[in-house]
Amino acid sequence: MKLSQRLREPLLLRHLLFRQWRNRPGRALTTVASVAVAVGAVVATWVAADASRAGYRRLTEAIAGVPSVDVSARAGGRWDATLLPPLVDLSGVRAVVPLFYRPTLLRVGEKRVREIAVGVDVQQLVATGLLKMHSGEACTRASEVVLSSSLAEGLGKKIGDEVLFFARRGVRRLTIVGLAEPESMRWFAEGAGVIMEIVSLEDLSNAFGTIDRVRVAIESSASRDQVLAGVAARLPASLVAEVPAGRASLAEDVLHSSDLGLDFVTGLTVAMAWFIVGNAMLMNITERRRSLALVRVIGGTAGQMRRFVVGEAAILGGLGAVLGAAAGLAAAGPISAGISRALQAPAASLLVHPLVVPVSILLGTAVAVAAAWWPASQAVATDPLEALSQSPPKPAAGVSWKLIATAIVLWGVAGAILVLVIAEILPPRASVPAGIAMTLAFVAMTPVVLPFLARMCARLIPSRWHLEGTLALEQILRQPIRTALTTGVLVVAVSNGIGLGHAIRDNVDDVLGWYVRMLRADWVLTGTGQAPAAVPNISAGKGAIGTETGSMEKALAGLPDIERVEAIGITMGRVAGGACVIVSRDIPDTLPLPLNPIKATEAEVRGALARGEALAGTALARRTGIQPGDTVAVEVFGRTAEVKVAALAVDYTSGGSSLHLRRDAAQKLFGVRAADIWLVTAKPGTAASLREPLQEIAEHNSMLLRSLGDLKAFIDRIIGGVVGSLWAILGLGFVVGSLGVANTVTMNVLEKKRTLGLLRAVGMTSRQVTRMVVLESILLGVAGGLIGLVGGMSTALYIQLASQPLLGHPIRISFRPSVVAVNLGAAIIVTALAAWIPARRAARLDLLEALSSE
Amino acid sequence: MPILQAEHLEKTFAAASQAGAAVAAVCDVNLAIEVGECVAITGASGSGKSTLLHMLGGITRPTGGSVMLEGIDLATLDDDALALVRRRRIGFVFQRYNLLPELSLVENVALPLVLDGVPFLQSNAAAMSSLETVGMEHRAGHRPDELSGGEQQRGAIARALVAAPAIVLADEPTGALDSVNSRRVIELLHRLAIEQKQTIILVTHDASIAREAGRIIRVQDGRIESDLPSTGALRS
Repeated sequence: MKLSQRLREPLLLRHLLFRQWRNRPGRALTTVASVAVAVGAVVATWVAADASRAGYRRLTEAIAGVPSVDVSARAGGRWDATLLPPLVDLSGVRAVVPLFYRPTLLRVGEKRVREIAVGVDVQQLVATGLLKMHSGEACTRASEVVLSSSLAEGLGKKIGDEVLFFARRGVRRLTIVGLAEPESMRWFAEGAGVIMEIVSLEDLSNAFGTIDRVRVAIESSASRDQVLAGVAARLPASLVAEVPAGRASLAEDVLHSSDLGLDFVTGLTVAMAWFIVGNAMLMNITERRRSLALVRVIGGTAGQMRRFVVGEAAILGGLGAVLGAAAGLAAAGPISAGISRALQAPAASLLVHPLVVPVSILLGTAVAVAAAWWPASQAVATDPLEALSQSPPKPAAGVSWKLIATAIVLWGVAGAILVLVIAEILPPRASVPAGIAMTLAFVAMTPVVLPFLARMCARLIPSRWHLEGTLALEQILRQPIRTALTTGVLVVAVSNGIGLGHAIRDNVDDVLGWYVRMLRADWVLTGTGQAPAAVPNISAGKGAIGTETGSMEKALAGLPDIERVEAIGITMGRVAGGACVIVSRDIPDTLPLPLNPIKATEAEVRGALARGEALAGTALARRTGIQPGDTVAVEVFGRTAEVKVAALAVDYTSGGSSLHLRRDAAQKLFGVRAADIWLVTAKPGTAASLREPLQEIAEHNSMLLRSLGDLKAFIDRIIGGVVGSLWAILGLGFVVGSLGVANTVTMNVLEKKRTLGLLRAVGMTSRQVTRMVVLESILLGVAGGLIGLVGGMSTALYIQLASQPLLGHPIRISFRPSVVAVNLGAAIIVTALAAWIPARRAARLDLLEALSSE
Repeated sequence: MPILQAEHLEKTFAAASQAGAAVAAVCDVNLAIEVGECVAITGASGSGKSTLLHMLGGITRPTGGSVMLEGIDLATLDDDALALVRRRRIGFVFQRYNLLPELSLVENVALPLVLDGVPFLQSNAAAMSSLETVGMEHRAGHRPDELSGGEQQRGAIARALVAAPAIVLADEPTGALDSVNSRRVIELLHRLAIEQKQTIILVTHDASIAREAGRIIRVQDGRIESDLPSTGALRS
């Protein structure tokens, strides 16, 4: 046959097609609705997932400041700035900022204050908006300096005043020409409160032409991974590009698993779309088997019938896809806004990737066509006389070994990829398609286990409903493929809900447990980037300035009803060639260790810390290969010291890329004294009375005062937002599942019209018919839910194992009855509700019309 | 040369379950139909006459033997080629009419031509002509559910004739009709056989209808019991 004839063929039978649509609008509409629901779900999930990721990004930026990438010497230490290749032309790069740090001593009147000075191109930073001035201007000369406004206030200094700067080359008199906003310094200052022109600071330090690192500021819309790759590609072998180990990484760490979860959910929604559309097409064609057989008898070829059916699928699928894309976009707006609210991140206009709509429409149409192909082929392969006989299609006999083999292959693939991800041969993201394959394996097993489960569940139907239950069960068992497709949607939704629910809750509980242990106090004072060592001594009266570092401690300890004060300092450093965060803190003997050491007792670790050894975070250890007992070179602000690692610990500071030392050890090794966090524990029953005096100290030092309850609430809000956004997307899965079930049950009713008419004609009441339809739906819900339970627990385990390379430590997996109960309950309720309207429709069928229907 | 010839034709249906036995619906049937003949295949219910008709019409493949239509062995044709034969060379009339409920009468009649890619105007004209032949042109625009049983069956006959087939096979064409409409249908077939020399094979359990044909083949237990000329009005 010529191509032109083939292309015209679907049009030849257009009268038949249009008349069939007009005669049975319900069938055509439910097919369109299936595709619309499927495509809408994919679009909404895709856009919501993108919104979540954008929200996460804004959240982490709000905490960490400007996103950036660091360039450092691979061997550590300062390096020749001329080695840096041009980077500013790279896509996504906002600015390239060389940085030079040095601890210094400032003399203010009779007082000496230890501070960190940072050398940058101050004018460039101010001009690009990366440094905001509170007042004054950027320094340009060697004799000029900019202070952070909070440091200046603490020192009692203003623009035009002078400070003495103690440097290697002697003492330099510097004039304060500007005061910078501390918030805007956070992303590069690393605790420094003094800003100078980089050339001037290098000169003062007798280190002209060398820098500590280069911080590449990234545009907020750019991908950090892409910029990192672009930067790394240009660097010489002696330099390395890496993500700075920052203070915001707690949020990022929680979000790593969530990010995988979002990919998982999006992929599974696509899988659900396949099931829904496949089911709709199967039933669409099954219902017309007689018409198709008749046309074949009078001379239609198998190819003509197939093209007719597939052509119809393309038209209905295309229409459904367009409607679904529109509906998905309409739903995505409120969902994205809700997610932004939940994350307490600034709301942004709806992010719609340019590919979302065209890909979804193409996908919907292609899925409809593909889904129609197999049932069309089955229909034309059926004996036309059998199809003409008006008897329902014969049920499949026995277990399909192909399905079991498919399930085994899918499990095998998933397992193999998981092993490669854990071994870090494949990136963590590779676990997403593999996890989806594993879920689909459970779906493939559904036709095998469903008859058994359905029979077991049917036994629970009360005996007074025996007839309805028997008929409902018979319908399920008679159509294994259709039932499997319907139940597949539920299996995916429940697996999603239980699997991701467990994974998220386990992750969140781990983080919360860490936080409670790390920040055990009644009150927490946190700095905005630095905490000046000189603070007003409240006990000596307002305006009096302490003279030494430790005066903050004295000021706090001088308050009545204080039981204990602990200080925590957080400093950027490098260990074994990689960036990390050095956490130095007081570790009172009377309290448990703030971290949980792995394979070491508290007494051993306490003794080791007292000797100046360190605890390494598991992520740092995993990344650098550090083992307990190793001695590593640690570099902080240009000073390198050898530190022995006593043990590893599960830590969420900087995602576990951390080294914990006692504060006195950190001071001795690196000269680090400044504290970023102060933990204040009150005597029993007196915590509330400390709010006012602590608030005064906090204000004087530009620190933020929170009670532990406030802090927990703040963390809960962040985590709650993350979890909430994921549950919203998971909830979409149940909505899609319910619409899929409703569609299936509706089409079941349409197909069984004649049978239902017969049942009513022989005396079945409309209530019994309703009950039968609803029971069929509930049996599907329970069976699908139980299969989904097994799938979900496997998914939870899978996600946790696949997240290990990201987190660097195993997470305790628990069984959460509430998560299981909510998901199973949702499956049953959703299917029961979804069946209600079709059930009522079935009960109200006109008997004569039903009996004479095809 | 016979227009239709069957040699050692057999059809055995496999057992539905392991406990059952295979059913030999047709056993070793040999027959030859000449152009213009009107043959009635008769027998009791379950005798295999409909199965025989379906094999002669290429709707069911035999499990043994051959069917030659205009010299072509139907067993050598694949499914698509068989469909073309059914479309162009065979007209089928069923007991239950089997008109597509969504289409009007003229559209049902035109369907074999539409499947063959005949342009709309041409196929429509041919369908109207066929409806005139059976006296149903005044109901061309009506849907099947708006017609009586007899009218639907006449419409089905028109569809069977529209492609000018070599042979018309009718399976119990009056089985679902009352006596008046049965008479009308038989008279129509009579006219086609006599006036247009159309070759017709019809299956019936009604001896009085079978007698109207020019030749009666009696089938019992899947075998031809007798194959005799009739004295009936449809004798060519």
